[in-house]
Amino acid sequence: MTPGNSIDEIIELYKRDVDTTLIDECLKRTVEERLLALQNFAAAIAELRAQTAGRK
Amino acid sequence: MTHLADLLRALGAAGVDFILVGGVAAAAHGSARVTQDVDIVYRRGKDNLEKLVAALASGQPYLRGAPPGLPFRFDVATLAAGLNFTLTTTLGPIDLLGEIAGGGRYEDLVAHSISAEAFGVQCGMLDLETLIAIKRAAGRPKDFEAIAELEILRDRGR
Repeated sequence: MTPGNSIDEIIELYKRDVDTTLIDECLKRTVEERLLALQNFAAAIAELRAQTAGRK
Repeated sequence: MTHLADLLRALGAAGVDFILVGGVAAAAHGSARVTQDVDIVYRRGKDNLEKLVAALASGQPYLRGAPPGLPFRFDVATLAAGLNFTLTTTLGPIDLLGEIAGGGRYEDLVAHSISAEAFGVQCGMLDLETLIAIKRAAGRPKDFEAIAELEILRDRGR
């Protein structure tokens, strides 16, 4: 990336790396299911972090 | 992470006028990115502040990152005197935003929001186009990846 890239150009570069299979999976769900998945995933991460911190 | 279902039910039961913005709104639209807090834009009218206090008071809201013991009362007077509050609660972290940069207040955003039911609550959430516009206006590099995903989502819906 060279200096002077516009935000548009930078965002287009980021789009190449977006995992669209995850988007496809999310779009199969209802809004409630999407929010529930977010809540459950974040809770799982928090639990893992807590367990990891306890072992340090 | 916030107990999202419980939080939305509390806001809904109290009849709070609010719009989900930020990462949770993005997730509702289909984003696969994970966020740790809930951002809502709330209407600033006194009646709505009373409902907000009623909805959240049992969650013992406290200023996130503030040293323990700092005097903080979560009441209508406090909300009226401030604007944006980053809070920790027993339901998890929540940002109460009276206004967002590039988007304005509840009254400005309500026309740019959609309604969807989740957990038995009819929730207002910022539409994709406005979510993107606000993040673009902020121009923060940390948002570029999120903008890229949101634009892909937007384009899929066309």
